[in-house]
Amino acid sequence: MRGDKKTKLLAKQLFKLSLVNGQVSPEQVAGVLGYVEKAAPRHSLQLLKLYQHAIVTELAKSHALVEHAGPVSDATLQLIAAAMTKRYARPVTATGKPNPKLLAGLRVRIGSDIYESTVSGQLATLSNAV
Amino acid sequence: MPAGPFPAMLPLLLALAEPAANAAPEGPIEGLKHTFEHFGVEPKFVLFQTISFLILFAVVYKFGVKPTIATMEERNKKIESGLKNAEETQVRLTAAAQESAQLIKNAQLEASKVVEEARKVAKEFADKQNAEATARAADTLAKAQQAIELEHKKMLNEARSEIARLVVKTTEQVLAKKLTEADRAAYNDAASKELSAI
Repeated sequence: MRGDKKTKLLAKQLFKLSLVNGQVSPEQVAGVLGYVEKAAPRHSLQLLKLYQHAIVTELAKSHALVEHAGPVSDATLQLIAAAMTKRYARPVTATGKPNPKLLAGLRVRIGSDIYESTVSGQLATLSNAV
Repeated sequence: MPAGPFPAMLPLLLALAEPAANAAPEGPIEGLKHTFEHFGVEPKFVLFQTISFLILFAVVYKFGVKPTIATMEERNKKIESGLKNAEETQVRLTAAAQESAQLIKNAQLEASKVVEEARKVAKEFADKQNAEATARAADTLAKAQQAIELEHKKMLNEARSEIARLVVKTTEQVLAKKLTEADRAAYNDAASKELSAI
């Protein structure tokens, strides 16, 4: 249990070392991986899993997946990316992904956050309200 | 003159008196002595008879009369004692009867109190049981009503959910068929503006 705590703390410290100006730096990540490979700390496999999860989560926070039904222009994606960049105070990119089940509207995923304005979502809300 | 034994004894007395009349006059003691001799009464025999009688009297008194008197006195004492005891016993019996009557009366009163108390307790117990049974019945009825209401609400909710699900599904199918690309594009633009304003 104490080993788990130490491993989590070390993974958190390595993750902080991987950030440059609040963004994941590939060079820093490579340096961290080289350190882990060379030093081989205890519970290295668990440490790498925790570190990977933190990096993936951080990278997901910098990317907005925009699900849509119907055509979406690049200007719309740029508008959403700018709004998310402003909201999260970090550079956020946006990519589109068609999803006909939404009927109409947009669903934006950033990390574990979801923002939705779709016809299917409104119908689901209506169904739950009844 | 009344007839009796005297006329029959008269010749005998005359025969006895005749020699005496012929003899010289003598004193009363001599006459009495001659009379005793004439009847064969001897003084020595009289003396022996007297002594024998006294001895017999003493023996009879010693062994017959005296024990009999003592026995009678003892019996009298016993009878008196028995009568006295009988009277005392009668008094005690009367007192005991009164005491037993009082005890019976007290026992009857106590029994009446116990019976009354038992009736009172039984009535209270029955009332309590009835009250509890009534409360349980009311509680059971209330629970049953609540269960029925819950079941009714559950059924209504299920029906409402099912209707809503069918409505939403139908709406989705209709919208999927009826929405044009232009409608979707317009909705997407509106959604992007809405999401950008968050």
